[in-house]
Amino acid sequence: MAKISIKDVHKNYGSLNVLKKFSLDIEDGEFVVLVGPSGCGKSTMLKILAGLEPASGGTIAFGDKDVTDLAPGDRDIAMVFQNYALYPHLTVAQNIGFGLKMRKMAQEEIDRRVADAARTLAVDTYLQRKPKDLSGGQRQRVALGRAIVREPQAFMMDEPLSNLDAKLRVHMRAEIGALHKRVGVTTVYVTHDQVEAMTMADRVVIMREGEIQQIADPDTLFQHPDSLFVASFIGSPGMNFLTARVADSGNGPVVKLFGAEATVAHHDVRGLSEVIVGLRPEHLSLGEGPVSFRVKPTLIESLGSEKYVYFSEGEHHASFSSRNEDENSKGLIARVSHTGTLPESDELVLSFNPENLYLFDPVTEKAI
Amino acid sequence: MRRTLSQSILLYATIVGAAIVILFPIYWLVITALASTDELSSLPPTFWPEAPDWGVFAKVISERPILTWLWNSTLAAIGAVSLSMLVSVAAGYSLSRFKVRGGHSMGMFILTAKMLPATLMVIPLFALFRSFGLVGSLWSVILAQATFIIPFTTWMLKGYFDTIPRELEQAAMVDGCTPLSAMFKVVLPISTPGLAATGLYAFVLSWSEYAYARTFLISEQGNWTANLGIAGMRGEYTSAWNEISAASIFVALPIIIIYIFLERYLVGGLTAGAEK
Ligand SMILES: Nc1ncnc2c1ncn2[C@@H]1O[C@H](COP(=O)(O)OP(=O)(O)O)[C@@H](O)[C@H]1O
Ligand SMILES: [Mg+2]
Repeated sequence: MAKISIKDVHKNYGSLNVLKKFSLDIEDGEFVVLVGPSGCGKSTMLKILAGLEPASGGTIAFGDKDVTDLAPGDRDIAMVFQNYALYPHLTVAQNIGFGLKMRKMAQEEIDRRVADAARTLAVDTYLQRKPKDLSGGQRQRVALGRAIVREPQAFMMDEPLSNLDAKLRVHMRAEIGALHKRVGVTTVYVTHDQVEAMTMADRVVIMREGEIQQIADPDTLFQHPDSLFVASFIGSPGMNFLTARVADSGNGPVVKLFGAEATVAHHDVRGLSEVIVGLRPEHLSLGEGPVSFRVKPTLIESLGSEKYVYFSEGEHHASFSSRNEDENSKGLIARVSHTGTLPESDELVLSFNPENLYLFDPVTEKAI
Repeated sequence: MRRTLSQSILLYATIVGAAIVILFPIYWLVITALASTDELSSLPPTFWPEAPDWGVFAKVISERPILTWLWNSTLAAIGAVSLSMLVSVAAGYSLSRFKVRGGHSMGMFILTAKMLPATLMVIPLFALFRSFGLVGSLWSVILAQATFIIPFTTWMLKGYFDTIPRELEQAAMVDGCTPLSAMFKVVLPISTPGLAATGLYAFVLSWSEYAYARTFLISEQGNWTANLGIAGMRGEYTSAWNEISAASIFVALPIIIIYIFLERYLVGGLTAGAEK
């Protein structure tokens, strides 16, 4: 097992620059998740780490060893692919043992380790089957078995759960987490699903268009997003964004929202007349509070113990480049705990605590 | 979705129609072999000979060197197919996997080469083989046939390799293979349906080839291939059509047998399970 150091790695396909300078130090045994929208370069980075694609520049080291120019087979890593990539002509046992065989391990030792790995992943009852006779979940386990049997320095996983149905995905997510705890191998995991990233990672690397946006543990990412992009990417339902005017109340700066004023004393808004305010749906509550306002809901969804109240942002409409058209015009959501009935026709009083507001510079899109 | 009655009728009518078109020449070949010479020229033709002469097959085998011709055809086919497959597995795999400069135009070039009539190459090849002393030898036919088989097989195999997910080779390389051993240990074993279909196709091309055999082997009776032999059975004034047909059946038989033997590979389906 080893620490992984990625330094200034970048990648061009012809004139297309798909990965800008990427630097990351991964601790021994850490579970790091690369997350970002489709096409942002996650798989490319993982393939460069695995040695399946050459980098256009930069260096990669495992421990103290520079592996930048090593072939995949010489890097002592294992990889799990989105489509599993099981060898269709080999049995489950041969699939799991293939890497050991390639390394000329003695057959008894291969058999022993394959049996161990198969037991760990509960695939020991169909070792003699071919991949085509397995279900999706079983294939996924065999792919994991092929990775752990090698006892490698690191695991690389590229969207390993995205071909499973929702229920199995949650289950395998927990299993991969448990597996990582048990074997403790450094893992780099790629996904476009922020929930997977938040639930599995020790640290999350958020990427966009080939660039790292923020590197942090899940809680920090949720509580202190660096930018509008990160804030809008993390959380479900996503953060609400509103354009608001900055004013001076004489008692420190305030932002004007729905006719009310919210103090933003601990944000540095000097020189800004307008900001984008972020407010998580769960930070809005029903009834009077520190800052209250009245809205006319457009839709109310009941989830049993809580309700999603949708309402229009009116004059506070915010649109910015890191959100797409749809998201920019989807309105606002309040996630409130309430078990009774809420008629959609009535106006409601909603409130929030100004301490829960996030402020972003509308030009740089950075947090302030 | 269930078929309606009219759809079923249309479907079966199409199948029966196609079967008749395909099977009629075979039926004609068989009755021509079995009928007497008089009956062949009678009008209207009979649907089945009145006194089928099964002895024609034994007669052809004993009076003509048909087994030698078949053996020569077999040698030529084995040579041409092996050579073509060797070259086109490597070429098809490279075209499928590596983005080489001009790779696309290479593909187009091969495609165009497929469209050139084989006869266009006869004279230059003849000149070439004569200077190497190959005229009259089966090697001339093997090499000449390979020149038109390779474009076909390369294109077919490239198409087949394109369907194999790259992740399989990537997985193999992470597991310790070199690109070459990944090809031998993973790609080729799961390509058996494609290799079998392509090989069979190459075999048929070689087996039914006539122009090159005629040009390069005509002077060397001992090396005649089956097609050349049958063509030689036509007399200057009269032809024993029943014997020619019987010999033709002997020539068609190997292809039918090989097809039956390889059919389960041709259907494919072996890659199922590689992906989700
Ligand atoms: N072999 C390639 N040639 C050209 N462009 C590529 C190649 N592979 C990936 N790309 C491009 O690089 C970008 C990043 O791809 P990828 O790393 O697969 O994204 P992700 O895994 O984050 O969805 C995409 O725009 C993709 O089109
Ligand atoms: Mg990807």
